[in-house]
Amino acid sequence: MLHLRPGMSSPLRGVGWTLIVLAGASAVGTLSGRPAARQSSSVSASVPAAQATYNRDIAPILFRSCATCHRPGEAAPFSLLSYSDVKKHARQIVDVTQLRAMPPWLPEPQKLKFADELRLADSEMNLIQRWVEQGAVEGDAADLPPQPKFVEGWRLGQPDLILTATQPLTLPPSGTDTYWNFIFPVPIKETRWVKAVEIRPGDKRYVHHANILVDREGSLRQRESQPGAGFGGMEIRIESRVFDPDSHLLFWKPGTVPYVEPEGMALRLDKGADLILNTHLQPSGKPEVIQPSIGLYFTPHAATKLPMLLQLENDAKLDIPAGQKDFLVTDDFTLPIDVELMAIYPHAHYLGKDIQAFATLPDGTKKTLIHIPRWNLNWQAVYRYAEPVRLLQGTKVSLRYVYDNSEENPLNPNHPPARVVGGNRSRDEMCHLWLQVLPVNFDPAQGDPRMALQEALARHNVEKNPGDFEAHYNLAAMLQAKDKLDAAISEYELAVRLRPDDAVANNALGAALVGAAHPGQGVGYLQAALKARPDYFDAHYNLGLALAAQNDFEGASQHFRLALRLQPQDANVEANLGAALAEMGQFPEAKSHFEHALQIDPNQPIAKENLDALQKATGAH
Amino acid sequence: MGLGSFHFLDRPMFIGAALLICASFACGQPSALDLDGHPVNPLAADSSKVVVLVFLRRDCPVSSRYAPTIQQISKQYADRASFWLVYPDKSESPQAIRQYLQDYGYHLPALRDPEHALVKLGRAQITPQVAVFDRGHQLVYDGRIDDWYVDLSRARPAPTTHELEDAIRAALAGKPVAKNEVRGVGCYISDLE
Repeated sequence: MLHLRPGMSSPLRGVGWTLIVLAGASAVGTLSGRPAARQSSSVSASVPAAQATYNRDIAPILFRSCATCHRPGEAAPFSLLSYSDVKKHARQIVDVTQLRAMPPWLPEPQKLKFADELRLADSEMNLIQRWVEQGAVEGDAADLPPQPKFVEGWRLGQPDLILTATQPLTLPPSGTDTYWNFIFPVPIKETRWVKAVEIRPGDKRYVHHANILVDREGSLRQRESQPGAGFGGMEIRIESRVFDPDSHLLFWKPGTVPYVEPEGMALRLDKGADLILNTHLQPSGKPEVIQPSIGLYFTPHAATKLPMLLQLENDAKLDIPAGQKDFLVTDDFTLPIDVELMAIYPHAHYLGKDIQAFATLPDGTKKTLIHIPRWNLNWQAVYRYAEPVRLLQGTKVSLRYVYDNSEENPLNPNHPPARVVGGNRSRDEMCHLWLQVLPVNFDPAQGDPRMALQEALARHNVEKNPGDFEAHYNLAAMLQAKDKLDAAISEYELAVRLRPDDAVANNALGAALVGAAHPGQGVGYLQAALKARPDYFDAHYNLGLALAAQNDFEGASQHFRLALRLQPQDANVEANLGAALAEMGQFPEAKSHFEHALQIDPNQPIAKENLDALQKATGAH
Repeated sequence: MGLGSFHFLDRPMFIGAALLICASFACGQPSALDLDGHPVNPLAADSSKVVVLVFLRRDCPVSSRYAPTIQQISKQYADRASFWLVYPDKSESPQAIRQYLQDYGYHLPALRDPEHALVKLGRAQITPQVAVFDRGHQLVYDGRIDDWYVDLSRARPAPTTHELEDAIRAALAGKPVAKNEVRGVGCYISDLE
């Protein structure tokens, strides 16, 4: 009697994690590129009437806070390296510093300090104003500090790997801002660890900011009209099948100096991964050619510290009536574990006005995490804390964003104002806050602490918005990863109820039912997944398993064959197809599939086991 | 001077030519110069047209971003209004200005105004700014082109007022301009002194 088990022990496919990553997110970057040396300003309140001079009083401020960008080849439209440079823009400098438009630094001063804070002290601002009022004199040459020194070319030296966009984008001379995504396939043969990334966004003068996202499965390539062409869009979504939120913020804005990951941290890049550079470009008045490149610096050391990006959001509450001046949106999330907060990245579009996030500690103390009273999307940034902020389990993290949809908001995309809802287009609105956190004080035996965070976040999102498809889906995936299959199945069912035609959710639900030994119930969902996406490899594979589990080996072998057509080098499918054929007594063909499976993967357990069993069985005959 | 008749000559500038012409034309008065160094009075030419002076700086990003708007408006009124680009920065070389015109696709005559003769005439304070003179060559409007920029850090998605076009239309119709002066956003000309 032949006893073969079709490979039910092999992992189900596509059971996993839809990681929704928005381009607004992802990025790390230091925010200013000033030289490390601190120079104290020579402002002296005690001698207010003194004649301010460029050489003694103004040059030190400008060298430190402006020259990183205001020099040839950098983002700023003119240099501020000499008296004559500065004199030609003196009153303009007073205006932009008084407005706090320059240097570009949005957050208010607060107790928790940010690294590379680029904010002028009030005394510095006032000194510049006084200098101009007093006639903007040059002063004694002996007082002039040495010219600031900058590294030319790649800031961290020659990168280990340089990726350059194959097709530059031509930015039209006028029109609204452009959001463009460049895809960079990473030509590596094995997993590499990245210690630092330098983004060269093309012509720095026209790129307002840029973000890198990692697309591990090349899922965004389908959005290009041809390879290398790139695609438009402000916010992008990446699906990932594994629980692997890499959680490094790779961000560029003018003045950014490449950020070297701290000890123990690195970004993992696998073979086949793409880097997506999401750029915000501003027309200059003439056509501009934008051809970005990315420099990667590798380390031989795999990451030992794994941070995570926590997203607070409440886009569902964004339904802002035309004309409303103060529309408040909030979200509060309680941390299930201890973390260190490393960086924060708020994101809203053009109606965002007052952006605030704070933490309420278990003892009731309130800490401001960031406060931007005059939000400006054009200068959005990732803000890293000078020291990681320890937030203990039970801390409530809150966001409070105020939106202005009135005529008084000059950045309002609608004139006259119109109702605005949440969405991905720049004229829609967003309410996102990303926190880069590192779990601390955890017991490694309890599993990856990031899963506890992710599960808590998914539960929070489900409670906040029962109609949130992604929240149900993500919660189900987390539960499934913890082997809580019944609970996972209920959440997947809710997800499928919300989007009955979603291929990914139907496949996941079908696979979970097969995994829970209800293959009969799984079949319908897997068929629905294939109806939505006929070339869905995972669903063919899972349906093959479901049918085999019900002894429909003919049907199973059909779907395994369809899966093989999509991915001919998949050892699991070969092993399962062999098993189904063997069940039907088609031994020679079964044998050849087992052997092919072992050619692809000599350790494929089911193929090995089944081939042995087949040889014994046929030998016994 | 008709718009179509203007040519940019790519030959070396003759400083002597400016001096020679000066002997026979408005001598002693500060004057704007064309890119060959010849004094030019944009208000002395065709009195049947409204005259628009557009004050620009190459190193002012706000003024550069207006290039498509200025081109478009000048084209729209080409048969009824003469447009002149005026560069008040005396350190700007004719060669650099020619390159700028080419980069930004300008097909308008450009003048250097190192002595700020036109700046004073057009009451210009910042770049970009315009001065509109009616057919009698009286200044009827000085100020911003439109309300695109709110301040130096914020621009609207699109302008909602169009002061330059309003002024041109009023001047062509011989009607008074609603607002004679609307302060704009940009780079100070006084910083150049």
